Amino acid sequence: MNGAMPPAAAEDGETAQAAPAASPPVIRLDGVSKSFGATRANDHLTLAIRPGEVVGLVGANGAGKSTLMRLICGLTRPDSGRIAIGGIAVDLDHFSPNAARAHGIRIVHQELSLCTNLTVAENFMLEEPAALLAPEPAWRERFGRRAKAQIEAIFPAAGLGADEVVDHLPIGQRQMVEIVRAAAGDGLRLLVLDEPTSSLDAGRSAQLRRWSRARAAEGVAIIFISHKLQEILDVASRVVVMRNGRVVADEPASRVTVTDLVERMGGHPHEGGAPAGSAARPDGEALVTIAAAAGLADHAITLAGGEIVGLSGLDGNGQRDFLHALLAAGRRHDRAITCRAEPGFVSGDRAGEGVFRLWSVLENIAIGASVDRPPLARLSPRAEQGLIRPLLERLRLADARLGANILDLSGGNQQKVLAARALLRGSRILLLDDPTRGVDVEAKAEFYRLVREVAAAGTLVVWYSTEDAELLECSRVLVFRAGRVITELRGATISAEALVGAAFAGEKPAATAGRAGATHRRPRGARLAPVISLIAVLAVMVALNPGAASPFGLDLLLGPALPVALVALGQMFVVGGSEIDLGIGPFAGLVSVLAATLLISAPLAGGAVILLAIGAYALMGTLIQARQIPSIVVTLGASFVWTGIGYTLQPTPGGSSPAWLAVLVDWNLPFLPTAAALLVLAALAALALDRARAGVVLRGFGNDPRALRQAGWSAVRAAALRFAIAGSFAAIAGLSLTAVNTASDINAGDSFTLLSIAAVVIGGCRLFGGSTAPVGVVCGAVTLSLIGALLGFLGISTDFNAAVQGALLLGILVLRTALSGSAAAR
Amino acid sequence: MNRFAGWSERNRWIWSALGVALLWLVLAAATARLTLESLSGVAQSASFLVLPALGQMFVVTTGRGNIDLAIPSTITLAAFLSMNILGGSDAMLPACLAAIAAAGLGIGLVNAVLVVRLRIPAMIATLGVGYVLATAALLANRHFTSYVVAPSLAFVANRRMLGVPVMVIAAAAAVLAAGFILRRTVYGRLLSAVGQSLRAAELSGVRSGRIIASAFLASGVLAALDGMVLAAHAGGAFLEVGSPYLLQSVGAVVLGGTLISGGSATALGTLTGAFLLVLLVTAMQVIGLPIGVQEILEGVVIVLVLALSGQTGRARRSGATR
Repeated sequence: MNGAMPPAAAEDGETAQAAPAASPPVIRLDGVSKSFGATRANDHLTLAIRPGEVVGLVGANGAGKSTLMRLICGLTRPDSGRIAIGGIAVDLDHFSPNAARAHGIRIVHQELSLCTNLTVAENFMLEEPAALLAPEPAWRERFGRRAKAQIEAIFPAAGLGADEVVDHLPIGQRQMVEIVRAAAGDGLRLLVLDEPTSSLDAGRSAQLRRWSRARAAEGVAIIFISHKLQEILDVASRVVVMRNGRVVADEPASRVTVTDLVERMGGHPHEGGAPAGSAARPDGEALVTIAAAAGLADHAITLAGGEIVGLSGLDGNGQRDFLHALLAAGRRHDRAITCRAEPGFVSGDRAGEGVFRLWSVLENIAIGASVDRPPLARLSPRAEQGLIRPLLERLRLADARLGANILDLSGGNQQKVLAARALLRGSRILLLDDPTRGVDVEAKAEFYRLVREVAAAGTLVVWYSTEDAELLECSRVLVFRAGRVITELRGATISAEALVGAAFAGEKPAATAGRAGATHRRPRGARLAPVISLIAVLAVMVALNPGAASPFGLDLLLGPALPVALVALGQMFVVGGSEIDLGIGPFAGLVSVLAATLLISAPLAGGAVILLAIGAYALMGTLIQARQIPSIVVTLGASFVWTGIGYTLQPTPGGSSPAWLAVLVDWNLPFLPTAAALLVLAALAALALDRARAGVVLRGFGNDPRALRQAGWSAVRAAALRFAIAGSFAAIAGLSLTAVNTASDINAGDSFTLLSIAAVVIGGCRLFGGSTAPVGVVCGAVTLSLIGALLGFLGISTDFNAAVQGALLLGILVLRTALSGSAAAR
Repeated sequence: MNRFAGWSERNRWIWSALGVALLWLVLAAATARLTLESLSGVAQSASFLVLPALGQMFVVTTGRGNIDLAIPSTITLAAFLSMNILGGSDAMLPACLAAIAAAGLGIGLVNAVLVVRLRIPAMIATLGVGYVLATAALLANRHFTSYVVAPSLAFVANRRMLGVPVMVIAAAAAVLAAGFILRRTVYGRLLSAVGQSLRAAELSGVRSGRIIASAFLASGVLAALDGMVLAAHAGGAFLEVGSPYLLQSVGAVVLGGTLISGGSATALGTLTGAFLLVLLVTAMQVIGLPIGVQEILEGVVIVLVLALSGQTGRARRSGATR
């Protein structure tokens, strides 16, 4: 079928060139192929990019542009072919993103890879991987200056501070940061911009193009991918058109027009089957009605049984949301959207939301028949086989493979299994979410035939596809922009040209930039909540017992809070990595025992053992990350180890505090209670660590580990450091416990585990990682440890201590969910 | 050999069963003190672990790191409740059973609402609930009066039928029921689906919230019932009665071959896992290891099994197919 391609066009990319011809190409791809399953994403592709060129790369959805970019950047390895950089052949086995970066190749991905919890300058730092603990006190200033200068160079007067947190920026500014960050590095030789202007307004887009031309004049090569063809013609010196994994046109930009490009991108050979529109059955029963009130279109839309309705438009303009809105409406009553039946759903993201990977093919299909049965009904494999067999024949799936694991099937056959699952459920509405992604041509053709059959039987098929060619299979196409249906094509009016035309017509970038401009700035009050609650608790206590306000009284009240606060700070770093540590309290207890026993009898050995214990903690972090096992079970198991060791060393409470340790907590400031001063010190230490380069990297890992790994940071090392920090804080907590109590008890730390988690939550950290708030956590820990004393003041039994702490933890989480839920609803 | 690899992949309980056999042989050879009599003692202790471990297994199988940390406090609270209600006689048995079931269901329901509705991570939700329950147990302890065990419970907890402890029979029945539910019913299939991929399950039409909630309910009820018989076995309730079951319930599940990442459970494995764990503890006691060392080894074994078995949630494909 690929034979239908014009053969001449794919020959060689180095045709008309205006660039300095003497220097070798920055990158040269020679006969490069890459297949996913049986799909040839890149098919014998040859292309050379010379210094000083701006190459505009265009192609319809699914033409293979993204794969090409991933090959160039070392993210994907080609199946065959050669790549040369600067005239020197590349060893493809060792061509990684880091190697590409070393060659001066940078990419700006379509999806942003910024850590949203970090500032602009911090995100610039992440782009330059270094040793985690490499000392550079002034890195913040260095990257801040670089960010500022580079933003000004590309986007003059952007009004974008280097210290702004990315989460607070509108999407357009985020995209600017992403672009500048990649372009800013030293030694840039090739810059790949993948849809860089999708969220930029016209002015910023023009600035970017001006800058691109200027950089090219200095000898940098730039690949500019965009759906906005006017921009391409404006910025590029040369335009490359891709189709079906091949280069089909490669010409100087001055010689082509937008119409030429659209023509070359479209014009898919329609692969057999019934002519488009033949499946339309306008007489079908209306199965879905979408009122204008749903805000999806200007008018009401009715979809009927027998129709194949395609969802088209540029990627990410609300097609997927539309599918999910239909699915939700089928399950619950929805005022604006009516679904006559609960739809079946087939996703093209097979690994992420399709297959059940522990199951056989049979089970993967059979669940479709199970979902609507009563839970305690018996499964009958024989009856299921009887149900499934006719389906398999329709789908041409060899039933000899029914017992095979689902992952042993090719992508195309997996897709058939998912279709069979949805069909087995027997819904009259079938939703397809880009179902043929990564499926070979033949399997696609079979899938199209199946869809036609299903529709012919009276089912409504709603089909979102990222490949324009597939929409030719539809009887009706809804074209989306910015979340709304803007045009509708029917029957014979559906053609490749019409689809491309409708999607590109009247592109108004400013509109999208404005829409997506919402920010998530958290109200200042939320961040002050821990401080306010601490002051409130203190105020109540002083009101109940004025003696508490004296320095001595405060010291007495705050003393027990110190170890809790330290453990909580340790826990904060663990929670910052989306993990949880159930052994941190017992670990503090163990160090306390070590301090009261070994550290006195043999100070050197004692110190060494404590350091060793912290090393073991780091090792635990390494184990969790490297083996991908749940931290909760590992730390739970470890908690028994810590307790066991402590118990063996010291079966009954006792020991004493080393004299030097006691001195550390026994000094006096005239104006401040000692305990308060120590708490402030602890908070400052954690704050300093959190803001140091290593701390920032850890927060980055908590926010977006994929982005960090892509930038070249080691996840295992980060995990080791994270747990080493947690262990160190817990160890200091243990030492302070011994110093304050002048004795130790292995069980003294047990209650700290829950307290530390509660303090982290109260302190304002989110539980899904990347969020830290040292001051809040210390306030939270102090509040929690004061509650015991407060209950005493109120004459309530200390029995209620645990309940109050547990309820407080849950209450705050419930409150926070309720608040964020109502905010999202608005 | 290859066939065995495939078979053992589908029947992961075999490893803990082999572990039991091996440990047993070693112990029998090393000391002369392990007899068939002591084996049934081990079996009885293991039975008390099997009930909460089955509940933990259901929760773990719902995936995404779900775990029930409220089990120990549920056991303790139920132990106090049953002793206080029964007061040593069978007269109040129906009321006691109703109260225990209600307590278990109520605790499970609270956990389920926190996790499913309010989207609080299970470990934190159940940890918090556990602390609230611990206070309830403290209060129950204040009013604790009777050390007399009701005859019917004493029968279940301490007696034998045909030489087999009644509790072992009860645990075996629970394992059979759980195994049946997991392997032969629609519920078992949907539970596995939710645990493997919540997203795929929901898109396939599974009402995942109900499935996850039911697992927490099962865990709550099983733990509560266990607390009741445990109190009868121990001849009274005390505050620490549930605490060993925090690590051990997770341990039995993991050792038995249930995937900690969810989606695949084995009731038989949980039985053999519980047996292995209790045998290990018994062995350490027989050898005379100090309590501290026992705890260390218990923790190390569980972490090591987890690290070595590579339960990363990815299907080990070779075994599953051939």
